[in-house]
Amino acid sequence: MWAYVVRRLLVTIPTVLAVVTLCYVLLHLTPGGPFDAERKVSDAVLANLQAKYHLDLPLWKQYLYYLRDLLHGDLGASFRYADWSVNDLVARALPVSLAIGGTSMAVAAILGVALGITAALRQNSAVDIGVMLVANIGSVLPSFVLGPVLVLVFAIMLPLLPSGGWDDFAPRYMILPIALLTLINVSTIGRIMRGSLIEVLSSNFIRTARAKGLPMRVVVLRHALRPALLPVVSIIGPLAISSITSAIVTESWFSIPGLGKLIVNGASDRDYTLVLGLVVLVTVMAVLLNLLVDLAYAWLDPKIRY
Amino acid sequence: MSASLPIADTAHAGRSPWRDARVRFMRHRAAVASVFILALVALACVVGPMLLPNAYDSVDWNLMSAPPTRAGWHLFGTDELGRDLLVRTLIGGRISLAVGLLATLVSVTIGVVWGAVAGFAGGRVDSVMMRIVDMAYAVPYLLIAILVVTVFGRDILLVVAAIAAFSWLDMARVVRGQTLSIKSREFVEAARAIGVPTWRIIFQHVVPNLMGVVVIYTSIVVPGVILSESVLSFLGLGVQEPMTSWGVLIHDGAAVMGAAPWMILFPAAALSITLYCANFIGDGLRDALDPKDR
Amino acid sequence: MTTRHKPSLARALAAFAVAAAAGAAVHAAVIPPGTVLAARQEMVRNNGSEPESLDPAYIESVPAGEIDRDLFEGLTSTDHHSNVVPGVAESWKQVDPTTWVFKLRKNATWSNGTPVTAEDFVWSWRRFLDPKTAAKIATTYAVYLANGMEVVNGKKPVTALGVRAIDAQTLEVKTAGPVPFLPAVVSVAQYGPQPRAIVEKFGKDWTKPGNIVSNGAYVLKDWQVNSKVVVEKNPAYWDAANVQLTRVTFLCVEDGNADLKLYQSGEEDYLYQLPPGSYSSLKAQYPREIHNGPLLGLRFYALNNQDPLLKDVRVRKALSMVIDRNILSEKVTADGQAPLYGLAVKGLAAIQQTRYDWADWPMDKRVAEARRLLAEAGVKPGTKLRFTYNNSDYHKKMAIFAASEWKTKLGLDTEMDSLEFKVLIRKRHDGDYQIARHGWVVTFNDATLFLALLQCGSEVNDQRSCNRKADELIEQGNAATDPARREALLTQAAKLAMDDYPVIPLLQYSVPRLIKPWVGGYDEANGMDRYRSKDFYILKH
Repeated sequence: MWAYVVRRLLVTIPTVLAVVTLCYVLLHLTPGGPFDAERKVSDAVLANLQAKYHLDLPLWKQYLYYLRDLLHGDLGASFRYADWSVNDLVARALPVSLAIGGTSMAVAAILGVALGITAALRQNSAVDIGVMLVANIGSVLPSFVLGPVLVLVFAIMLPLLPSGGWDDFAPRYMILPIALLTLINVSTIGRIMRGSLIEVLSSNFIRTARAKGLPMRVVVLRHALRPALLPVVSIIGPLAISSITSAIVTESWFSIPGLGKLIVNGASDRDYTLVLGLVVLVTVMAVLLNLLVDLAYAWLDPKIRY
Repeated sequence: MSASLPIADTAHAGRSPWRDARVRFMRHRAAVASVFILALVALACVVGPMLLPNAYDSVDWNLMSAPPTRAGWHLFGTDELGRDLLVRTLIGGRISLAVGLLATLVSVTIGVVWGAVAGFAGGRVDSVMMRIVDMAYAVPYLLIAILVVTVFGRDILLVVAAIAAFSWLDMARVVRGQTLSIKSREFVEAARAIGVPTWRIIFQHVVPNLMGVVVIYTSIVVPGVILSESVLSFLGLGVQEPMTSWGVLIHDGAAVMGAAPWMILFPAAALSITLYCANFIGDGLRDALDPKDR
Repeated sequence: MTTRHKPSLARALAAFAVAAAAGAAVHAAVIPPGTVLAARQEMVRNNGSEPESLDPAYIESVPAGEIDRDLFEGLTSTDHHSNVVPGVAESWKQVDPTTWVFKLRKNATWSNGTPVTAEDFVWSWRRFLDPKTAAKIATTYAVYLANGMEVVNGKKPVTALGVRAIDAQTLEVKTAGPVPFLPAVVSVAQYGPQPRAIVEKFGKDWTKPGNIVSNGAYVLKDWQVNSKVVVEKNPAYWDAANVQLTRVTFLCVEDGNADLKLYQSGEEDYLYQLPPGSYSSLKAQYPREIHNGPLLGLRFYALNNQDPLLKDVRVRKALSMVIDRNILSEKVTADGQAPLYGLAVKGLAAIQQTRYDWADWPMDKRVAEARRLLAEAGVKPGTKLRFTYNNSDYHKKMAIFAASEWKTKLGLDTEMDSLEFKVLIRKRHDGDYQIARHGWVVTFNDATLFLALLQCGSEVNDQRSCNRKADELIEQGNAATDPARREALLTQAAKLAMDDYPVIPLLQYSVPRLIKPWVGGYDEANGMDRYRSKDFYILKH
């Protein structure tokens, strides 16, 4: 088991390298560069600008410079946010996104699992349909509809919460964005939980357990839940990643200084270093999270071996 | 059972597994209702615009942002350019449904195959395939979309491709997880023991048992795909004016929710109904195709 | 809209008058007598986007400029009526057509106590235009100073730049050719002073709170990227007595709807820009808080004059004639923007507005004439037009309108191409377009900034149009010492160039905004839309 973990962690390095290389190439292929502005730039200034960022060197040389800096933990200087280094920007935005995305994932996981179990146990009844209707709100309405509705109700009509903004992790600014992300994620988790549990409940070993006369609750919690959680756990990895790094609609709507905003602005401004830095971050996070998920598989289904 | 050998006896109507599936599906009332509703929506989108008098792109500068009214068949009102919303919602439905279907199909196929092969093969192959998935997660979706469109030009098929290119990842992960679990079950060991070729095991034994999760997950992919399409169109990478889609209509409507709520109400309702139906049908199909419920 | 002085003579005279009135007047928040101020003088205003930098040499965007003008005060400044007022310089004089002398005030200091001297400006301007600093916008501002272009192109050393400190309080500026509006030019944030010792000590990090030192009315207290910039009153500022606001928070919300929600829930006092299409309903909802004044900006469509279809001036004229700008203004955009039939916008200095003669014809007559022109030029109905714009609901709406005008009135089909802003700029620069959406807003108030759009070979002339006679008139105008004559020449030049129909002028930008009723100091007639925080104050509420 530990050998497996170590192997996976080591594989992170080539993975990051491969992704960075790919994105590097893509960024330079995309039309428009970081220095395109409405007014023309003099050649001398442009030359100096490019020299400053090593852009006057052949692509492969730039790449090597970047890698060298990367190995020292230096993600480079940002073009778009000229006074800040990418390290600075990421270090400030990451905790924000983690707080919002991470909390919403935790809440959504608990709620989603609970709702899914409820629906599965009363399959095809009114309860099942009702629970699924509610759980699915987050998946049938896009976030750019739900967001405004949440704000309308809780910030404008009932002035309970601010409609956006950020103040150093003050809870009142975090509630609505977390609520939005939770609503969206709960539906996915709930549906998978329901479907998966229904399947497991009709399997042989469950029938055996019930035939033995065990009460339903015990059957579910002790025997059925673990294997049923497998697909749910599969999905938590990707959902967590996207909640933390791609919550762009949530972040713009609620004016939250998180990673999503950096990524989108970086891409549209062709801020090479910023985008690459974020890509490195997301890759590392994805690898780690997926590792955790795979380890969870082994715990949930003892027959899975690595 | 008759005492003689069980030869295929065509005189008796046998119980085909499909019939069983259909019966189980019918038990899921919401799913059944959803099939009808969805069919209605699809029909309206395809046929409706041909029957209605307004064109989806005719601007009427005197009737901008008008609320729903019987006059001129503006039953859903008009948008800020005076274009009829009823027709635009239906036309938009065509795009959303088509893109949704196509992109889902492509991404599900890729995802299932990828995940099943990775999960079943295990070891080095699994590792490499899943690391590729990890890598694909890290690539900024926006960047690829911009690049693809700028290099290859704008095309609705491109939208489908761009969306599918990122939607198969989740499916692959889910499928791989399930496969890992299935592959260690007795019937798979049995099949291996008697020498059934691997590809046969995957496609004839593993995949059918994945169907439940795949079907559920597919009906999760569908809304995601339709919404992705709206984001792309907004960025100028998808559907171009004057053509529209539900995503674009909702996005435009969200901006003026306070002043002209009908602009978001109708397309959002259409989208929600469709997606709810898709979800329920998905749940129903899962119940129907459950191999253990026999 | 309030009436304004005719931009020409009166303004020029006013500028000279101010220059002569050696700093006796106080230029800050002019508070009407009897106004009761609130005890807490703090304001939260949305600034539209995250600043790309706070280093005067590197800023380019308007939002960054807004913050920097609070932190760094230049020789001159622009107040909330968009008038040029004394800043660090208390007076100035144009001693000959290309030489100006600025007298700096003795009590101007940096926030760490050191005095602001003429040498500071010499060093700062040299740094700004030094190609080694690699300031992108240096090229745009270098044209005005003697040897400016040579320095920025690396042909001459920075010491050749036309700026010299005669003594600690006297600065001599030499311009490249006569620049009658130099005081306006040096009021921009990029020509502000930079604290040499701090810049050299901290390098790239000099603008961070704790390191930064400023000479303006405010100092930087906190800077959270993508969240807020907080500035606090600078006690060392020479005019601190007239600065009311003690603390200003700049937000960077780009989305109009999010901005509106923040305003409605009381999280901000000053909304940057209304969501498109919401003006009429918000006007009805907040009659006391809504403001809408004209901006010195032009919305227009650039026409690629080299394009095979658009080469013929008759085609360009026809396309321009049939667009009903009244409907565009009243119904399509519906936010108080004035229709335009010429290059100059209302309030622009040193030029009169011109108007095409057909602007007052009934639409039928215009359409008939346009059709005739097209037929003459051999363009048949069904011909395809290609229109490029950057993706935004606002521009999309206008584009759809234009396309429908061209379709219904001229039978031309328009293919619409929505692009990202960066890609649009590139394509426009490279001439890779047929008709493209364009907008032009001035950074200081003078007609030459608009005329640059049409000058032959100008780097902002994306149309690749050229009218030599008009260019000559512009040169003559800039050489004229009499403001009236200058205005006449520039107006003539504009008319001449526009008669070639290089672009399709549409509307003058306006600034629809919501501001809480307790904020004082806002002036709707401020065509530049630049506000220093020292011009605002909070009324008791």
